[in-house]
Amino acid sequence: MATATDANLTEAQRRGALAHPDVELHEEVNRDILKMLSAPGKGWWFLFFLAASGVALMFGSWGWQIYRGIGVSGLSSPVGWGAYITTFVFWVGIAHSGTLISAILFLFRAPWRQSIYRMAEAMTVFGVMTAGLFPLIHVGRVWHAYWLIPYPNARYLWPNFRSPLVWDVFAVTTYFTVSSVFFYLGMIPDMAAARDKATGFRRKLYRFISMGWRGTDRQWHHFGKAYLFLAALATPLVLSVHSVVSWDFAMSIVPGWHATVFAPYFVAGAIFSGVAMVITLAVPIRKVFGLEAYLTTKHFDAMAKLVMLTSMIVFYAYLTEFFMAWYSGEPPEKQMFWNRLFGHYWWATWIMLLCNGLVPMMLWFKRVRHSIPALFAITIFINIGMWFERFVIIVTSLSHEFAPFAWGVYRPSLTEMGIVIGSFGWFSFWFLLFIRLLPPVAIAELKEVIPPQMRRKSGGHDGHDAVPATAPAGD
Amino acid sequence: MSADMSSGIKRRDFLKVVGVGGAGAALTGCSTESAEKLLPYVVPPEDITPGVATWYTSTCGDCTAGCGIWVRTREGRAVKVEGNPNHPVSEGALCQRGHASLQHLYSPDRFTGPMQRVNGELQPISWDEAEVLLAQQIQGAAGNVLFIGGSMGPTMADLVDQFLASVGGSRVEWDGLAEAPLREATRIAFGSDVVPHYDFESADFIVSFGADFIETWISPVAYQRGFARATGVDAEGNKGEFVYVGPRLNLTGQNADEWVPIPAGGEAAIALGMASVIAGRNGNAGPYAQILQAYSPEAAAEATGLEAATIRELADRFQNSPSLAVGPGVAGQHRNATAANLAIHILNSVAGNVGTRVRLVENAQSAASRPYGEVEAAIRSMASGGVGVVMVHGTNPAHGLPPAAGFDEAFAGVPFKVSFASEPDETAAMADLILPDRHFLEAWGDASPRPGVYSLQQPAMEAVPHFDSKQTGDVLLSVAARAGSPVGPATTYDHLRNRWQALHQSVGAAEDFDAWWRGALKEGVVNVPVPATEEPAALRQPDAALIFDQPAFDGDGEFVLMVYPSSRFGDGRHANSAWMQELPDPVSKIAWHGWVEIHPAAAERLGVEKGDVVSVTSPHGSVDLPVFTYPGIRDDTVAIQMGMGRENSGRYANGNGVNAMTLLPAEAEQPSGGLVHLATRVSVVPTGDVYRLATIEGSDDQSKRGIAPAAYIGSLGQSEEEGYAEEGGYEKKPLEEMQMLGGFGAVQVDGKAKDWPLPGTDRGDYADPETPRWAMAIDLDKCTGCSACIVACQSENNVAFVGEDQLRMGRDLAWIRLERYYETVDASHAGTLDVRHLPMLCQHCNNAPCEPVCPVVAAYHTPDGLNGQVYNRCVGTRYCANNCPYKVRVYNWYSYADVPEPLNWQYNPDVTIRNTGIMEKCSFCVQRIREVQNKAVVEGRAIADGEVVPACQQSCPAEAIVFGNIRDTSSRVAELVENERTYRVLDKLINTQPAVHYLKKVTFHEAEDGTH
Repeated sequence: MATATDANLTEAQRRGALAHPDVELHEEVNRDILKMLSAPGKGWWFLFFLAASGVALMFGSWGWQIYRGIGVSGLSSPVGWGAYITTFVFWVGIAHSGTLISAILFLFRAPWRQSIYRMAEAMTVFGVMTAGLFPLIHVGRVWHAYWLIPYPNARYLWPNFRSPLVWDVFAVTTYFTVSSVFFYLGMIPDMAAARDKATGFRRKLYRFISMGWRGTDRQWHHFGKAYLFLAALATPLVLSVHSVVSWDFAMSIVPGWHATVFAPYFVAGAIFSGVAMVITLAVPIRKVFGLEAYLTTKHFDAMAKLVMLTSMIVFYAYLTEFFMAWYSGEPPEKQMFWNRLFGHYWWATWIMLLCNGLVPMMLWFKRVRHSIPALFAITIFINIGMWFERFVIIVTSLSHEFAPFAWGVYRPSLTEMGIVIGSFGWFSFWFLLFIRLLPPVAIAELKEVIPPQMRRKSGGHDGHDAVPATAPAGD
Repeated sequence: MSADMSSGIKRRDFLKVVGVGGAGAALTGCSTESAEKLLPYVVPPEDITPGVATWYTSTCGDCTAGCGIWVRTREGRAVKVEGNPNHPVSEGALCQRGHASLQHLYSPDRFTGPMQRVNGELQPISWDEAEVLLAQQIQGAAGNVLFIGGSMGPTMADLVDQFLASVGGSRVEWDGLAEAPLREATRIAFGSDVVPHYDFESADFIVSFGADFIETWISPVAYQRGFARATGVDAEGNKGEFVYVGPRLNLTGQNADEWVPIPAGGEAAIALGMASVIAGRNGNAGPYAQILQAYSPEAAAEATGLEAATIRELADRFQNSPSLAVGPGVAGQHRNATAANLAIHILNSVAGNVGTRVRLVENAQSAASRPYGEVEAAIRSMASGGVGVVMVHGTNPAHGLPPAAGFDEAFAGVPFKVSFASEPDETAAMADLILPDRHFLEAWGDASPRPGVYSLQQPAMEAVPHFDSKQTGDVLLSVAARAGSPVGPATTYDHLRNRWQALHQSVGAAEDFDAWWRGALKEGVVNVPVPATEEPAALRQPDAALIFDQPAFDGDGEFVLMVYPSSRFGDGRHANSAWMQELPDPVSKIAWHGWVEIHPAAAERLGVEKGDVVSVTSPHGSVDLPVFTYPGIRDDTVAIQMGMGRENSGRYANGNGVNAMTLLPAEAEQPSGGLVHLATRVSVVPTGDVYRLATIEGSDDQSKRGIAPAAYIGSLGQSEEEGYAEEGGYEKKPLEEMQMLGGFGAVQVDGKAKDWPLPGTDRGDYADPETPRWAMAIDLDKCTGCSACIVACQSENNVAFVGEDQLRMGRDLAWIRLERYYETVDASHAGTLDVRHLPMLCQHCNNAPCEPVCPVVAAYHTPDGLNGQVYNRCVGTRYCANNCPYKVRVYNWYSYADVPEPLNWQYNPDVTIRNTGIMEKCSFCVQRIREVQNKAVVEGRAIADGEVVPACQQSCPAEAIVFGNIRDTSSRVAELVENERTYRVLDKLINTQPAVHYLKKVTFHEAEDGTH
């Protein structure tokens, strides 16, 4: 059994040993993680059925909307954006923490990322896949949505590069591409490990997608380089994507949207909601698959601190908005924010303030940070609060703009709610497939930080382990 | 007149020629039985180019005002109705109901042909069979034929009378908007049995005692224009004043400079009080001197709760300027209505207005203003079995009369009932035989709206082929012949020509009749000069006992009930029109459903809010309606609109609102015999239900934004550098400072002619100095909020209707939103409400927020300054609508344009039909701009100022809208934007640089804008 004080260990291994005191053997890592890929139980099938129903609900509702017209939503004048764009921003936000954890924390060598980053990355990819549907769902003529993409055509018709929506197209597609590649690349050694354990069709599948990974030095060398470069490439995207999404609002002149604070405010909010969602997802997975040794309270403690920090940034942004509205002296601005707090949608605003500002403050207490049920409950509040944050920003602002005679309210319709709820099914659908088909915890990286002397001790090494236990990470 | 269309003739002449020529061509082109009726203009059909509109003159038959119209037809289909500029009544303008007449022409609910009721079910029948059947029944009725008619033109009335004389029968008229008390009062006062004609234009001080002359009263288009000319501020800063005296501000009252909120029925006391002050000075009271002594201002003050000084002051102003008093209108027909009308006549007479601004001449309203008493007698006759055959034409007493009148029972008891209704109505629902009449746009007729004006009504198109209709005049002539008692000519057309031959002789025209007739058809009207004034008629000794005091009200409820004519449905005749249903009521801004107006203080007493359903109960009936809280009504009065609660009309009218007449007694006012409308008290009890109002109104408060600021008349002419910035609450300074510091964003300019070219408009297609920059100026001092522009726009631009549920969600598509804000006048006035109307349409901003955000450049700026919207390119992200600070972009949430056949025949072929998922908005009628530009290019000339006229401007009875090229410094619009009252909405705040300029309303009190 290694100790954290073993002089032969690297700094990362020393920290890794502290984070995973109960993991002793590299074989255990392989076994525990790959066990998740074995035949699913009834619980999984039940959840998968629920998720698939959500997918059916979403696409059924969307199909109905396309058939009947966008009017089946509750959108109207003056609130032309509502639950769809709210949910779009929500999922883009969710998609943020993955890259944050995998790329930025990788670059900063944060030792607690190894156990969770795979799940976070998967969440990113599926989050973007979910988010990316919403602009399509939202437009009135989805069959012409491809006009937003600049493609050569005989009539020299181009999108309007001044429009933040076009920037959005670039930002989201870029983010999706990079995060997918990053996700896939990091998984190659693990898929090779899975290949080695699998039989039959699965073996063929893993062999194909692990791209002939044999764990040679040369492969590790390239892998390390590519991973580092992609991490460096993905890092600015974490900041840029949500900045661009925030500019959908900030670039307009709508009171409540037109604010320079929006980009950092949205990025902080995205990380806030994304990390909260990682916790929300990690808690049940840890429980169901018995990963307590891999996802320890140390991980949760670190994530909870990140949540707390971003919560305070977000709350500060809320206060800044209210202050600036008052300080501007502009009646439309002042009245919009008054309306936000005390108008027709006061309840949504207060849900947002409580869930995102007050509830996370409980994380100041170590006992709370170390209580998995408490964290689970708090992050559920945050997820709700962050959905409402976007709802508040979008709907209260639009409902109370410059022309008082045109003020109005918006109520989401059943179709709209079906699509919004169904989007959770769509996300879960992919996520459930993911935890059954791909290694949800990074085997190779985890082994990097598990002290290596077990190899000598156990003697159980059968030579088929494709992952060298002491493989260098980046050089 | 030359028929040469290629020479350089004016557009309007061109249209006239094409119109009349087209009449022959279009109709001969289709082989029909009516070909021989066509105008014998010898223009070969080849001259009609598909795609070129053909215009016909006619006369609007939707009410008795007799406005001359021009009907635009394309390929044989009527697509738009406009006022005939050469017609003295409409002078080119038209009201919302006139525009919507197309909806009745193409109503999908029209009867498809003659029908006979067999065992309670309507069965189709041929015209021959139907006429034979009717002829037999008439023969069997042995002279006991009753004809219940609505308002009809003189020729039709004459034809009916001849028919009845021939077959034996009598005629009564029922018009829900009849002014019988006014007519009777005129007879009593001056000995002329007429409804007078009023000249608003020459008045400087107008007092309305409740008359809704902007909405429905007598001749609303002409009166509104006269009113706007009189009360709109002129270049010298002179402005006529308008005082409204009455318990409820109707739309007309909302345009008053001062509201004197008297109790219901108090107008006689005020009018006499004023008259007594004036008569005390000039002794003009004639036989009424003694009565006036009894009605001193003090007595009037006591009766109405006003200050005597207020009445004296009103009298001073009334005497000292060219003045006019009108009222109280249909809504004010209480049990002493004749006396009230007489009191107003006395007031006009002592102030010397009779003969000048009050003209005692025969006009169309006179004929229509038959007393209800006659109908009452007819009902008794039907009930007693004295009627063998009853025929109903152009009226709907089953809906328009209070149930207590017993019309339904009496009518049902008549052995044979005939309805000539073109669309289903409650009376036709009981008829045994339905002989659908033609719509007035398909039929011949005439009107005589005022002295010296002879207006022709000619078919603008073939009868809509979906409906086998026949003009009632022709049916009567044919039936008379079949019944063995033929009447003169065989068709209405011949009858009309015969009658006009007499007119031809009397006017002494130089041409022969055929040439004169063609000219008349082309012009649509024959004007015979009449003197502008007449010898003022002296007041006569009254020959009837009149009570000038407050009338009695039935019941002991807390509130007096006002039942007022609808500016959209009239008395209900226009209800089955989606355009009218969808048009927000100019006062309440509610569409489709009904409501009851209650003062906010009264609502608070009752514990109800906007949208709470209350039960309104009079001794005669009870209805449930949602509350609309309205500060423009006294807190002891509630009001319900007429014309709703249709049960057996078409799909657009049925089930909307309640029939207010069910709350009224069936009582004839004495001595006029008019039906009382203001006669009962009601109790109002909350039911606990809530109805979500279908309203376009978000907030009635400008919320300190200076959207519709006003200028105090005393401040005009005093040069103020930035008076507007003050009132708007915004200063220009910060933006200028930012620009000095290196600047971002567009430079802020006022958009006046001298500012062109604007920064940023100096490249590419935008740089050409010859390119016009289209702009609009809207004078809010003239705008009355009548909403005619909205319907004109809807008709011109194929703006679809969406229905109640969609409108409630905020999805109405109207390109113009008539905003209505309340401001408060200082407490020195009795009525403290100052109502601001502002037509909000696309502002065509030069620095438009919608344009940069569109991801596919569907919203873009044209070189001539239009904010273009490329429908085909629109993907439907709705970002532009979010970013539009004026909220004038409307979105097709569904394919609203899919309307039942043949309503789609109305669509203007020059304007794209918008499908689902597309953003649309005001285009400044770009199709009209291009039409004029193309014509100018073909003719090798420049466009004259005023040649391009958007539909809203064309229709505006108040002449509040001016459109033109702002770069042309001599244009009217360039001149107007230099006006000191000119401002642009929100421009100082967000620098949108709109092309729409507003001229502030002018008030006689220091304006409280809510901007401070």
